[in-house]
Amino acid sequence: MKTDTLIEMLARQAGPAPDFPVRRRLAAAAALGFLASSVLALVLIGPLPAAAFYTAAPWIKFVYAVLLLAGASALAARLSRPVSSTITARAAVVGVFLLMLLAGAVTLIATPEGERWSALLGQTWWICPWMLMMLSLPALSAILWAMRSLAPTRLRQAGFAAGLVAGVVGAMGYSLACPETSVAFVAVWYSLGIALTGWVGQWLGPKVMRW
Amino acid sequence: MRVQRLKGGKRKSYVRPQAGPLAIEWYQEDVHVLHNSHWTRQRLHNGDQKPISKKIPPVLDGCNQTIISDELKNDAQHSDFESGLKPLWLRAQSGDELSYQKALRLIAGRLRSYFRRHLMNLPDDVEDLVQETLLALHLHRGSYDPTQPVSAWVLGISRHKLMDLYRRRGRREALHEPIDGLEEHLAAEDPGETLANVDLHSLLQELPKAQRIAIEMTKLEGLSVAQASTRTGVSESAIKVQVHRGLKRLAALVRKEPT
Repeated sequence: MKTDTLIEMLARQAGPAPDFPVRRRLAAAAALGFLASSVLALVLIGPLPAAAFYTAAPWIKFVYAVLLLAGASALAARLSRPVSSTITARAAVVGVFLLMLLAGAVTLIATPEGERWSALLGQTWWICPWMLMMLSLPALSAILWAMRSLAPTRLRQAGFAAGLVAGVVGAMGYSLACPETSVAFVAVWYSLGIALTGWVGQWLGPKVMRW
Repeated sequence: MRVQRLKGGKRKSYVRPQAGPLAIEWYQEDVHVLHNSHWTRQRLHNGDQKPISKKIPPVLDGCNQTIISDELKNDAQHSDFESGLKPLWLRAQSGDELSYQKALRLIAGRLRSYFRRHLMNLPDDVEDLVQETLLALHLHRGSYDPTQPVSAWVLGISRHKLMDLYRRRGRREALHEPIDGLEEHLAAEDPGETLANVDLHSLLQELPKAQRIAIEMTKLEGLSVAQASTRTGVSESAIKVQVHRGLKRLAALVRKEPT
């Protein structure tokens, strides 16, 4: 076929450019992922006792996750288009992470010296990042699938951003079941779990989002 | 011009001699760029994902195309290509068929010379890739953001398509990132051959019937969506959906078709 014929064909009855529903699709995928990770966390691990929700611990995790979600989803949205600047969104993600790390460090310093290790490692440090990543996998597949229908051209970066969003959503679900209470624990191990999910996304991105 | 990424993530670069309006010379950490006919010296961070410089886009998927778009934004102001394309494109986006046709022709010419340069060894693939990219641009035209130069948007997608072809062909070039943009091809358009190996007409036969008929009526016979709707008894929105799905399917077929 001649390229000119193709061009005529494409233009004929083309109408105005269709909407490009980046936010709607990503939000739907993240919501679905949150639902899945919450259900998984509640079924596999079991919910925290109701009394725990009157303490600050679950809310710290939740606030951290919500702030991170704002940055990560902005990043994912920008990477869903061929050319959009990602600098602000990346700065937001890194900024929230550093803020949390700082908060963790401050609380750790305020902790009596003998208890610092137990505050940092808690009871579950070795399982937390892995569990978090596992709980994020449904969200990750939903978000990658949503992104694939958009127009990502920087696939590794886009995959990483998708992984971050999924990790954050998984962290929200996990916080319903996670017994840890220290800020330092959340700053280190939650962040690691979210980053792990990001790396899984980065690895999957170029494989599943080709178009 | 290509930058090679060596294993281990360290950025080392090499010179690939090539004629062209933009010449780049790489040293270990500094890069000299001939830009607008003067050399500028820019420093790269060793081991960094991206150079500090706003002028040199870094490697493959790790690349951040904002850098390119910033660059193109500057260039774009002086560029005939962008200034000729943008008004056409904006009119096309709001539904002007004729402008859309003109814009696509303009783009096709650029794409041809861009791909030709990067597919020196695969000249047969050039026109196929031009057509594949045009289809991709059409299917994703909603993703264009009017605050950005059209040429940057086109380049983002074309580069993606080029990389995709390299990966499919399993070529070593997949490791390289072409860092020159459409703008740098001052050698203007390449009217050259415009016949692709892949024949969309025959691929059309492989589509599901509803999609094929919707495309034939609106895209080949030129019926309006309303006319196609009354002729087939299917709602207008269904016709639009079938056309879109059909073209998407077609794009996937073109991509898979061995040539």
